[in-house]
Amino acid sequence: MDNIREEIRQYILSQFLPGERSANLQDDTPLLTSGIVDSLGMLRMIGFIEQRFVIEVDAHDATVDNFERIQDIAVFIESKRATRK
Amino acid sequence: MAAAFNDSELVSELSEEQQKLREGAIEFARTELCEEMIRRDRDEEFSREAWRKCAAFGVLGMPVSRQYGGMGLGIMDVIAVMEGLGYGAADQGLLFSINAHLWTTTLPISLYGSEEQRQRYLPSLSNGEWIGANAASEPDAGSDVFSMRTRAERKDDRYVLNGTKTFVTNAQVADLFVAYATLEPALGPMGITAFLVERDSPGVFVSKKLEKMGLRTSPMGEVIFDNCEVPVSNRLGREGRGVTVFESSMEWERGCILANSLGMMRKQLERSIRHAQSRKQFGKSIGKFQSVANRIVDMKVRLDTCRPLVYRIGWLKERGRDAMLEASVAKLYVAESLIANCQDAMQIFGGYGYMVEQQIERELRDAMGSTLYSGTSEIQRNIIAKSLGL
Repeated sequence: MDNIREEIRQYILSQFLPGERSANLQDDTPLLTSGIVDSLGMLRMIGFIEQRFVIEVDAHDATVDNFERIQDIAVFIESKRATRK
Repeated sequence: MAAAFNDSELVSELSEEQQKLREGAIEFARTELCEEMIRRDRDEEFSREAWRKCAAFGVLGMPVSRQYGGMGLGIMDVIAVMEGLGYGAADQGLLFSINAHLWTTTLPISLYGSEEQRQRYLPSLSNGEWIGANAASEPDAGSDVFSMRTRAERKDDRYVLNGTKTFVTNAQVADLFVAYATLEPALGPMGITAFLVERDSPGVFVSKKLEKMGLRTSPMGEVIFDNCEVPVSNRLGREGRGVTVFESSMEWERGCILANSLGMMRKQLERSIRHAQSRKQFGKSIGKFQSVANRIVDMKVRLDTCRPLVYRIGWLKERGRDAMLEASVAKLYVAESLIANCQDAMQIFGGYGYMVEQQIERELRDAMGSTLYSGTSEIQRNIIAKSLGL
């Protein structure tokens, strides 16, 4: 789970917060409601997650509940992986 | 943000093979894509014959795998050919139609199509039998394209499309539309899905012909989907992933359509130099007047600064890297430089440049659309600002 969080953090820093320090993006930093990631950005992030973690994200899964914070995204990825097994 | 670009690695000088491709394209375009331009521009006449000649030359299948009847060229090769066509051709409208066909129809099918879709459509799109068109913009969804209202409703083994698309390049001559519709507006961009809609499908109507300032030999119109039934097998990519298809199209289009502009800028620069050397006023060549020479210097500087930006996109894409930011930088700068060069050329030619016969006024009219199509300059600035974390 820690690895997943770190990979997501690095992706968000590189794509949406260039130049920002890693320490400033916490596991519970709001991503969507704060505007760090907009709706198109979320679509790109989902593409990255699908490819990197070999899961499929349905359009109805793309909710604030699942993608608002790094910790939410990690839980979502884990649950998808568990379903796959 | 994409990794920093290493200038030393850029193939700013084309390989011998790519130079041959470009020179071949120049020769082809000079011979075949300049006929009756003044009349056809005035009459807004699209040349199906020139389209077929482009197909026979291989232009329409450049990025398509040989397996599906294409040439299987890499993007750097394609950019080299497009630069050559832009230099040799008078018919910039035809080149605009070709770009729409290639990057918004053929390429998305190559990248996201099923094996069945590739086999069904790519050979006909490559050999000139079929023409493709992109049905994305709507009357109330232009730059904000993802606020589209066209709906797609799943009914058993079909989708039913309803909505109106506008600014559809090739609308009147197209055989196949890549159409975008939302399955559920509440899903936002995640609801948008791409479909392959054949022209003779029930419920497809090409309505209003749109008359343009420039690129007049490229047809444009409105397309209405009225209870248009599309088989599920004609969905392009997954449900809710139309934005990915669309953005990929735009990234390629922005890079390759600009290559035509490079060719046009080079041609104008050479013409302007020749004119400034041969035209005499007050007993000497007008190029000896600093105010004229400086315009030509500015044209040269713009061309030389535009060219690496366009080839950088090809360099990145050939390495499988994201080029969204770089494509926006190039689109913004090349489009605005193209217009500035056209205006300089007209000023250097003076009253003659304003006359239709010199064909400079048409080049200026053709260029004016470049800050609008494939994303306005304002949208490019938005994308760049966002990439910089602003």
